[in-house]
Amino acid sequence: MAVSTIYSTQALNSTHFLTSSPSSSSKQVFFYRRQTNRRFNTIITCAAQQTVVIGLAADSGCGKSTFMRRLTSVFGGAAEPPKGGNPDSNTLISDMTTVICLDDYHSLDRTGRKEKGVTALDPRANDFDLMYEQVKALKSGIAVEKPIYNHVTGLLDAPELIQPPKILVIEGLHPMFDERVRDLLDFSIYLDISNEVKFAWKIQRDMAERGHSLESIKASIEARKPDFDAFIDPQKQYADAVIEVLPTQLIPDDNEGKVLRVRLIMKEGVKYFSPVYLFDEGSTISWIPCGRKLTCSYPGIKFNYQPDSYFDNEASVVEMDGQFDRLDELIYVESHLSNLSTKFYGEVTQQMLKHADFPGSNNGTGLFQTIVGLKIRDLYEQLIANKANAPTEASKA
Amino acid sequence: MTSIAATGLNVATPRAFVGPAARLSAPVRLNYPWKFSSVKRMVMSVKATSEGEIISDKVEKSIQEAKETCADDPVSGECVAAWDEVEELSAAASHARDKKKAGGSDPLEEYCSDNPETDECRTYDN
Repeated sequence: MAVSTIYSTQALNSTHFLTSSPSSSSKQVFFYRRQTNRRFNTIITCAAQQTVVIGLAADSGCGKSTFMRRLTSVFGGAAEPPKGGNPDSNTLISDMTTVICLDDYHSLDRTGRKEKGVTALDPRANDFDLMYEQVKALKSGIAVEKPIYNHVTGLLDAPELIQPPKILVIEGLHPMFDERVRDLLDFSIYLDISNEVKFAWKIQRDMAERGHSLESIKASIEARKPDFDAFIDPQKQYADAVIEVLPTQLIPDDNEGKVLRVRLIMKEGVKYFSPVYLFDEGSTISWIPCGRKLTCSYPGIKFNYQPDSYFDNEASVVEMDGQFDRLDELIYVESHLSNLSTKFYGEVTQQMLKHADFPGSNNGTGLFQTIVGLKIRDLYEQLIANKANAPTEASKA
Repeated sequence: MTSIAATGLNVATPRAFVGPAARLSAPVRLNYPWKFSSVKRMVMSVKATSEGEIISDKVEKSIQEAKETCADDPVSGECVAAWDEVEELSAAASHARDKKKAGGSDPLEEYCSDNPETDECRTYDN
């Protein structure tokens, strides 16, 4: 939100038009009225481009494309890398959203990090000043030249031009690490994967890779753990929503990691964000939808909802353990969840089906990612509606 | 066969004569496509897999390096940075695999996703 301060002067005593403010480069027209015998500062909100900034934190580079694709698909349109630019660009652009990978703000490239003995998780390898400046500029409606970190070569490539979008998503390891950047975020999400699940996923991902073995995967995870716990993990206390992925409790001694228990922790009191609930807000519910109306295959589905405290903040937690097998399970569950911010009955199911080939489409990860996407859309619409009303209020002052 | 002899083209060693006989070799190529296009075909197949190969090679190399670095001193910053590099490259390799699977194989589909309004890509549903 670009805020411009205008000082009245004694000589003027009629309505005036002022063009161009010092703080942004887009053309805006200001309208103010001076009241006699009163010197005052008018704060007028510029009603032009308002960018909503969302932060998404999780481990391991910008492979959160599943979440990003679900999110951008809620707004409509497919997110693609910028056309005609660097083919190794990490940016995704769709009609309403632009997704920026925070790896682009590495201050040290791969060789630099090797020399200094520093991981990408370490804040010393990232340029937070540049990150803050550019996110602030994009939020105010100014295009920026953002550097590109090439994951294949490990070098910093020539910058690309990023136009300010309606919704800016910054994803990476440190969206909430720097306090200034944190204050710019309208909503933040943290993807918390437990160690067992992380191990199982990395095995699935890397065993097909020549050169990797169980030992090397384990060594890689353990070597990164100290930095991860020191720098990345603490960000979850600042997140407005945390998606926690844990091993299932429905299958005793399960170590395959196929069935997951996923918890959506939603902070209370966040502006424009009303948490999802089961049955009634603030109560504690345990729900197994499988029974007479619905038959599920092993291990079934179990839901939980309860108020809780998360890092000294009031929060509501919705939890899903198990997997969806069929479409009607999904629609049945959707019809019993409240405050989903859907525009029509079955929207969550429809979004899940649209991307049925994405990982997590049959369990809580896909479900909660989709729900968070709808919540963000709701937040965006409320923010825009609010900003549209603000100028009329300011002119009454 | 007589036409080839008449053009003075020695079929036994096709590569040596590609230059001056290029225009004349066009009809010959149609009759014996494997003889002249073999070189090109080899080049094309190497290009198609090279990006995935490059990253896979890098992953393998980085794992070796990480093991060596960590053999000296398991707690040093260099060891941790080496394993971090392995992680980064493994992620890049898995993305490359997903991208290849998602289908860079049909050039028409690729073109149409970028240009849906062109004549070749228009779809009529009713």
